[in-house]
Amino acid sequence: MSSRLRHARSIAGAAAVLAAALAIPATVAAQEVVLGASVQLTGPVANTGRYYRDAYQIAIDKINAAGGAKIGGQSHKLALKLYDNQSDVNLSVRQYTQLVSQDKVTLLLGPFASNFALADSAVSEKYKVPMVQGGGASDQIFSRNFKYIFGTLAPASNYFASTIDMLKALKPKPASVALLYADDAFDVSVADGTRPKLKEAGLTSAMDERYSTNATDFNSLLSQVKSKNVDAVLVAGHETEILNFVRQAKSLGVAPKMYSFTVGVPSEDFRKALGKDADYAFGMTAWLPSTSLKDRWFGDAEKFAAEYKARFGYDPDYHAASGVADVETLVQAMEDASSTDPQKVRDALAKVKFDSLYGPIAFNAHGQIDLPQVVIQVQNGKLAEVYGAKGIVTQPQYPMPAWSAR
Amino acid sequence: MDLLAQVVANGVLLGGLYAVMALGLALVWGVLNIVNLAHGAFIMLGGYAAWHLYRLAGIDPFAGLPIVAIVMFAAGYAIQRGLLNLVVRAPMFNTLLITFGLEVVFTYCAQLAFSADFRTINPPYAGSNVALGPVTLPVARLAAFAVALALTVGMWLFLLHTRLGRAIRATAQNLVAARLYGVAPRHLYAVTFGLGVALAGMSGALYGTVSQVNPYIGATLTAKSFAISIIGGLDSPLGVIVGGLFLGIVESLTTLYVGPTYADVASFGILVLVLIVRPSGLLGRTA
Repeated sequence: MSSRLRHARSIAGAAAVLAAALAIPATVAAQEVVLGASVQLTGPVANTGRYYRDAYQIAIDKINAAGGAKIGGQSHKLALKLYDNQSDVNLSVRQYTQLVSQDKVTLLLGPFASNFALADSAVSEKYKVPMVQGGGASDQIFSRNFKYIFGTLAPASNYFASTIDMLKALKPKPASVALLYADDAFDVSVADGTRPKLKEAGLTSAMDERYSTNATDFNSLLSQVKSKNVDAVLVAGHETEILNFVRQAKSLGVAPKMYSFTVGVPSEDFRKALGKDADYAFGMTAWLPSTSLKDRWFGDAEKFAAEYKARFGYDPDYHAASGVADVETLVQAMEDASSTDPQKVRDALAKVKFDSLYGPIAFNAHGQIDLPQVVIQVQNGKLAEVYGAKGIVTQPQYPMPAWSAR
Repeated sequence: MDLLAQVVANGVLLGGLYAVMALGLALVWGVLNIVNLAHGAFIMLGGYAAWHLYRLAGIDPFAGLPIVAIVMFAAGYAIQRGLLNLVVRAPMFNTLLITFGLEVVFTYCAQLAFSADFRTINPPYAGSNVALGPVTLPVARLAAFAVALALTVGMWLFLLHTRLGRAIRATAQNLVAARLYGVAPRHLYAVTFGLGVALAGMSGALYGTVSQVNPYIGATLTAKSFAISIIGGLDSPLGVIVGGLFLGIVESLTTLYVGPTYADVASFGILVLVLIVRPSGLLGRTA
């Protein structure tokens, strides 16, 4: 009898625990907004993918610590559902499909890189769940009249715009330009946008060459740069290619008057890998951690950068700032819409307008942001802002001396 | 004309590097009939070993080659003895699967241990060059080329003239007869695989000096090594040198005259041509 009683009691106890267990998530779920993303945590682009993982996490933690998003008078905590796509586009598409169809996340954050965003935005469009992504800059992503994709990276076609403005202002003005680019969505967009700008600026294009993504040998291209005496070399590629390019330029003694790269230059990793050889390299960024960029959650961009570095042990670059802006943009849109309903959030995103640590956030009719890029250069191991909307900021180190004279 | 000479010189030096990468793969493939899909991962690990030696102990990547070789040999020996020997007589598909698995494991362990950051081995001379008339030759590539030649010739002499080398070739040609003469295949297979891995490790050290190392360089390097082994033939190390040089020069000239995107088309196109016309490779014996 007593044993049966105990048995019955334990069943009742278990039932109570079970009921409690079911009840708690039910109440939390009402207050929690789950943001889903698939990011490159492993694989060849894991090096940049980590910026997005860390940016999403630090933004969500910061917003939660401040009480979360205030949607319709109620506080909602944010949660992140993150998958590792192993730098594989097909896996990334499957994971986004899983995020919306099985995990039922509320809204989507983006992957890194244009070719990923290009493929993944088909999922957000199909399931009508808005995605704000800060990793894909190719104009192709936004040229399909999709309604559910928003991007916070400056348009790829404009990457070299400020650099070309600077070339016009340099003395002596470079007589010829080489445009080298990888054959992926982002870099082809960069090249397509750069060509007419070079023509407009009256700069002669001496070389216009497309190379295979993941090429490791640039000796032949560099030998051509040398034999054609090209003054300015503009390279649109990936960080690993840029590192090889610079090292091989040095070992072949090829020193044009200047070279500029779409990626790598803003990141600490690039300067670490090249050491002193990183000097004189030009690049561009839409973001620098300045105090003038005020932010509702982090205070300003400089404070954000310090907090980010303290937590993750490396400096944030524009990828990280763009990732944080994506989270803030979704929060802003939910608050504007007073709803977490994907359709209402989408409409709010189309009209969103606020200042963030990344810059003023607003999207054009295609869902893309328009941010000016400043020209940066590695000068004595440090990043210097050399050219912006108002002209020269710090004197650019130009022309680049011969390698033997450095 | 100067440009052509420079581009051919680039191709020759690149080919030397290719050859030393493929040498280990061809050896293991030729003797053990294992297409080692983890070969590129061993190149990557060798690169990290050399990077650590240079970074932590200040050992020059070329001076560190023997250390890298010994460590990688030991690892290769152990892997063959403890793992691959179990499937060495099984259908080729099994060894493909196992080495593919090893590739994945090594790659992801490398990311855990070393992060996805790019590492360059950057001794002071890495960026310097010597001028030979109108042609500029990077010192590091020149040195890598010399090491590649030395290793290939050394490998060739070893296989032809030492007892161990002859035993390795005998095992490859006729296992039963070799055993009758007292060759212990388990040990010999492990030595061969160890040598292959040691060669891969050394080429990784050279690769890190002229290029850069990250956990994901392996797969493309395996593919390159595979193509070179096929083009050159598996019968002798000299075939690998010829295959490597041929590929290096073709890729450089294609980049110059056709366009950089076509370099891979040219190299894999040649691979297909060789398979059709001379399946045993340029220097292979025609059966």
